[in-house]
Amino acid sequence: MELSAQLAPFVKATIKNLKDMLGFEVNTGGMELEPDEFTSQGYTVLVGFTGGWKGRLILDMPGETAIKMASAMTGEPYSSAGDEEVLLSGAELGNIIGGNAITEINNSQPGLQIRLTPPSVFTGMGMTMFNARVNSSSLVVNTDVGPVKVNVAVEGAQ
Amino acid sequence: MDIKFINAFISGLLNVTGMLGLSDLKRSGLSKKERLEIDKDVNILLGMTGGMNGNIVLSMPEQTARNIASTMMGGMEIAVLDMMPKSALCELANMVAGNSVAGLDADSVSMSPPTLISGQNIVALVSLVETLVIDFTAAAGSVTMSIALEG
Repeated sequence: MELSAQLAPFVKATIKNLKDMLGFEVNTGGMELEPDEFTSQGYTVLVGFTGGWKGRLILDMPGETAIKMASAMTGEPYSSAGDEEVLLSGAELGNIIGGNAITEINNSQPGLQIRLTPPSVFTGMGMTMFNARVNSSSLVVNTDVGPVKVNVAVEGAQ
Repeated sequence: MDIKFINAFISGLLNVTGMLGLSDLKRSGLSKKERLEIDKDVNILLGMTGGMNGNIVLSMPEQTARNIASTMMGGMEIAVLDMMPKSALCELANMVAGNSVAGLDADSVSMSPPTLISGQNIVALVSLVETLVIDFTAAAGSVTMSIALEG
């Protein structure tokens, strides 16, 4: 399935940053449409956006991947996905990737004027994310440290 | 944080819950935290940009979420927190945020659509900024509203 116009810039920004900033090898799977509810692999970074597109970006990964990702960012070892530094690393990653993506969107479509809301990070068992009346699509980016699922939901998008 | 924000959010929540039939909801606590952290099982998060930049989160135990959704849905019994009650709770968060912001002179605030996050043993870090935490209690259970506005 071809990437939707909404998902593509976020996937591009994710791949670019995982490669350039963290030096990971990455490869991607295909786009998937999600049901009404998104099921987390254990660790989720959520960044909302407003403006011409209203919605949210989710970067979702297993807790183990989040720990390794944070270690790659800071050079420190961590034992739990709920560790403060691991949560902070995720928030930073959400900011960087979300920021890159909306810069590209706003440059190519100046009328949209999309803005990000501050990122939030969740870890837990059996977590689901639900948005009323909003469709979302995902793409898995496989990295050296595990799969990162990029999920974007935009109100009114197909 | 400005006192006018506190009052706008308290009355925003009470106005909306009053309209929806949860008229016994009372404010039971008010505190300030250095950051927005969450440890409840059901959380509805909504971001804001523009005149105010930050996040609002309504958090509650699952039983309370089912009770509130049941009241909103005319007393219908809710055994499982599925799509219908979750939609109702997202709408509640939308209305509370909208009503609160309308009570402020904030310019052009835009809100991102609410996301309901549920699960077990959730640990979350939402914002690193000073957060206003307002607790509410009713027969349906307790609800915490956290408001984290960036600079």
